[in-house]
Amino acid sequence: MRQTTLSVALEVKPESYDHLSSLLDRLRNRRSTDPSGGEGPFADFLTRVPALHFMSLSVFPGFDYDPLFVIEANFDGARGPFWAQLESAIGPDLRLMLRCCKRPLDNDGPLFDSIVAANARAPIAPYLERRALTPTVYHHGNRGMTRDRILAEHALFEATRVELRCANVDGPNPYRVLSPSQIHAKLRAALLPGFGWLDHSAPKRIPLADNIADWARLIGFVIAAVFALSIPGLILSLIMPTDRYFILLAVAFLGFAAMLGKIGVALPGTGVATRFSFLKLFFQQLLPLVLFVLGYLVIAVAIGTPISMLFTARSFDAAWHGMITWLLWGLACVPVTVAGIVFWLRVLERGDASQDAPPVDPKMLREMARREDWIPQNHMGSIVLIKPGILRMILIRAGHLGLGLVLRIVARQGYLGSMRTIHFAHWAMVNNKSRLMFFSNFDQTWESYLDDFIEKAHAGLTLAWCCGVGFPPTRFLVKDGASHGRQFKEWARHSMSVSRFWYSAYKNLTAEQIERNFRIAIGLRKRTLSDKDAALWINDL
Amino acid sequence: MDQRPVSAAPQKGPPSWKLAPPHDTLTQGMVVSGFATLPTGRSLFLQFCWDKAPKKGGGAWLAALQAIAPISDADGREARAAGLGFTWEGLRKMGLNANTLASFDRPFKEGMFQEDRLRRLGDRREGKWLGTVIEGGPKWSGNTPLDNAAVDSEARAFDDEEKVVEEHIVTPITVHALLLLYEKDEESAEAWCRAVGDALAPHNVKIVHDLPLDLRPDERGIAREHFGFADGVSQPAPFEPGVVTVKGGADYPQDPWNGVPLGEVLMGHVNGHHEVALGPVVIDTPEGRAAGLPAHARGEGFLDLGLDGSYMVVRELKQNVAAFWKSMGEAAERINKRDPEHSGHIDAHWLATRVIGRDLDGNLLCPVNPTGVLPVDKYNQPDNDFLFYDRDRLGLGCPLGSHVRRGNPRDGLAPKPSDKQTLLDAANNHRILRRGRKYGPTIADPQTDDGKDRGLLFICLNTDITRQFEFVQQTWMLNPNFAFLYDETDPLLGPRGMLTIPEKPLRRIIEVDTFVQMAGGEYFFLPSMPAIRYLASL
Repeated sequence: MRQTTLSVALEVKPESYDHLSSLLDRLRNRRSTDPSGGEGPFADFLTRVPALHFMSLSVFPGFDYDPLFVIEANFDGARGPFWAQLESAIGPDLRLMLRCCKRPLDNDGPLFDSIVAANARAPIAPYLERRALTPTVYHHGNRGMTRDRILAEHALFEATRVELRCANVDGPNPYRVLSPSQIHAKLRAALLPGFGWLDHSAPKRIPLADNIADWARLIGFVIAAVFALSIPGLILSLIMPTDRYFILLAVAFLGFAAMLGKIGVALPGTGVATRFSFLKLFFQQLLPLVLFVLGYLVIAVAIGTPISMLFTARSFDAAWHGMITWLLWGLACVPVTVAGIVFWLRVLERGDASQDAPPVDPKMLREMARREDWIPQNHMGSIVLIKPGILRMILIRAGHLGLGLVLRIVARQGYLGSMRTIHFAHWAMVNNKSRLMFFSNFDQTWESYLDDFIEKAHAGLTLAWCCGVGFPPTRFLVKDGASHGRQFKEWARHSMSVSRFWYSAYKNLTAEQIERNFRIAIGLRKRTLSDKDAALWINDL
Repeated sequence: MDQRPVSAAPQKGPPSWKLAPPHDTLTQGMVVSGFATLPTGRSLFLQFCWDKAPKKGGGAWLAALQAIAPISDADGREARAAGLGFTWEGLRKMGLNANTLASFDRPFKEGMFQEDRLRRLGDRREGKWLGTVIEGGPKWSGNTPLDNAAVDSEARAFDDEEKVVEEHIVTPITVHALLLLYEKDEESAEAWCRAVGDALAPHNVKIVHDLPLDLRPDERGIAREHFGFADGVSQPAPFEPGVVTVKGGADYPQDPWNGVPLGEVLMGHVNGHHEVALGPVVIDTPEGRAAGLPAHARGEGFLDLGLDGSYMVVRELKQNVAAFWKSMGEAAERINKRDPEHSGHIDAHWLATRVIGRDLDGNLLCPVNPTGVLPVDKYNQPDNDFLFYDRDRLGLGCPLGSHVRRGNPRDGLAPKPSDKQTLLDAANNHRILRRGRKYGPTIADPQTDDGKDRGLLFICLNTDITRQFEFVQQTWMLNPNFAFLYDETDPLLGPRGMLTIPEKPLRRIIEVDTFVQMAGGEYFFLPSMPAIRYLASL
């Protein structure tokens, strides 16, 4: 089943900021004595919102804007049923919180009035659904695993441990004298009565339709990007003689390249050696790139030829030939357009003001520390201002769209580079797209999470976050940036707010453990395993 | 790397690193040396027994100390050696300016016993000391006062939030400074301690706690901790061109396995995150200049109090030797009973080496070598130039959850071969330079508890306490999900729990008890030599 990640960001009446904070604290305290949420009174949350994996309610203080109340939710299936479940679980609390928010000045005003009026009984779910934001990028560490499946497979894991430890408890352990395939068979036989679902085949984590859609979206994006980048060439080649057009391309390209060579180097004191290389990436991706370009040609010719025939009354042969020539001339311009954009970007980057020592409020930091590191998972929410300018605006939108689509293909195993510590993370734009919000539910500590990014995935992270005002100095969107360890961490802390209410449906499970449970379950679903397969499978027990 | 031949004529050891001038005379000697030639000594925990921080004269005791126990610098061997560190409250009591006190790193300012930090370090949770702390709670700490962030006392219109009151955790003994004395024999050490005590008493500085600092090497020259294992085998090897050198002055090469930038150990140098390791600053004064403090690189009108200094993490870890070996014996017995056919090789010793990850002499457990351990290096020392991924990815030799693997996973956490180097580099950003020594008598019979107090005075140096010491403790040692394990922590340092020992065809899981308990701890500032002179001038 598909998982949904979304957030609702609502402006808060500044006078109600503290009151809203205390409402969130009270909700947390009532739900659980454990500051991290989880067991005990939280159990009812687990049953009443059965679709929910992770949820947070936080309020960001206002510095540049009024405070912002954010509901972040990650759940199974569609939005509608989830909002209904949530309302039935904590509807009255949410209504009190919504009363702290500003009335929207757009068409949602009357709907807001109807839910916050004194003694209002109107359901709040429709309002939340109206105000829900779609993430610009999101990442799921255990894609396709429903919450119930995660819990069931973990119960299975626990049962394997009990069985292996306690079989024939007063005498020799029967598993110790068996071959790997026999261990598998015996364990399966022992667990089957308690876990009848082992006899059924496993639901597919990524259904075929999702798979096709992922690829179709990515292909569509790349083809659209290629087309957009060749637009200047398509226009110029129509209005200029061919020889002059190519001379212009060559001159422009050489000019951009020369200037880039000059300004491409890091500004003094900001360069960090990295293993990331554009050239390496280019050659690694050369084959798919060529395929994408060919795909673009096929589609563009298929669409363009009949249109050309319609408007110019040319024969099919002439129209087809003319179209492909024109498209090829346009493609020739792509490297020049890219060089031009990179040059423009680099000029902007050189002028960017990065914040060497972002101020971190010690009290806020302590509030965060008070709520962190109770369980193996942690949560962070952050909002940053987006750098101004049209190129930045285009790059953020296109970059996030592309990154999101690429992640759906390359991060299906949950890995970002060499790290698999994220359960659910997403970016979304708020305040009329002037601020970028980031939420993550991750394993281990905040420090280790950020260090992972700094040490293992700085390029990807820099790409996604360098549009934030004050981000450490960056080169070509991916270099340097997050490699400036402490500066980057302070910047990230500076942008964060306290996760006052945070809920995890499986608080002791890391993303790795969920995958381990999954592998064990997959093995146990099989009636038999060869000795070789069983020996590999046993490594996870 | 595996089959390194044993040299026919063993040399004394690999070339050690040293600091080039002027840093050698600016840095405390204990940074570059563990003083192996001075096998005994004392750690003296000092309390400043005056009430208010004086305007002037707070450093007088330090000047007196320098006369009887001059703090050693790093420019060569001395007949006896001394090291000195301060807690935040100690510096405040000496009269250090409030702005300077604010310029230290957060963990140091908050102290090791800040409520949230103790939870992260696995010592205390929800108001209760955990089983890994001695009965009744730790004896000593810096008793750092609560800071302004602890209570939000600011009044705001429209504020109806319930104020959280942070608990101030206090130990019976308050430590303001830690003096480490290294000597060649017991008598000299004892005499020196008395002389120091006599010199400090007139200044109202009391020795409130003391522990021996023993190496007590065996006949083969191996210094063992109380459980019997060689200690301090693996250390980070700092490098910085022109500053870290070998004897003769050539640059100390970047060690591919254990190399760390000098800024991981000393403030004011570039660290593993490509930044200059931050240190404290003081306002520019003639006293500061006279002490030799250089101008700060970024703060106009300020002097660098941190350059060539470090942070020193100290934890007194009481070891229960009999409990350790008893627990190993019971676990072995249980395995033998449950698996009579295939567990002939398993006894208490075998399990103990799995808990540590090395044999008693410090050689790494290794699945491919017939001896079961990595061969010694060309200096006849335990080989420390190794990685995990290629040889022992699954931990069939050195278990994934063993103490040494948790202490430094090297490239072992790489999910695939192409990530090995990235993971090794990442791991080396979380190294600590260990300078601990044991205290207490060697146990006569490891099976029988003699009721004597013994353990390890854990001391390590780092410049970013959060990223180095705390990361190692929290993300590696006590992480229940380290290396894809589930619900188990470090078998040596952690609470009662489990240890997975990978084996073919099926892993074993043993239960391990609590053997090590924290009896006190704090973060100290290890000042440079000029910084000591400056503090003495207060």
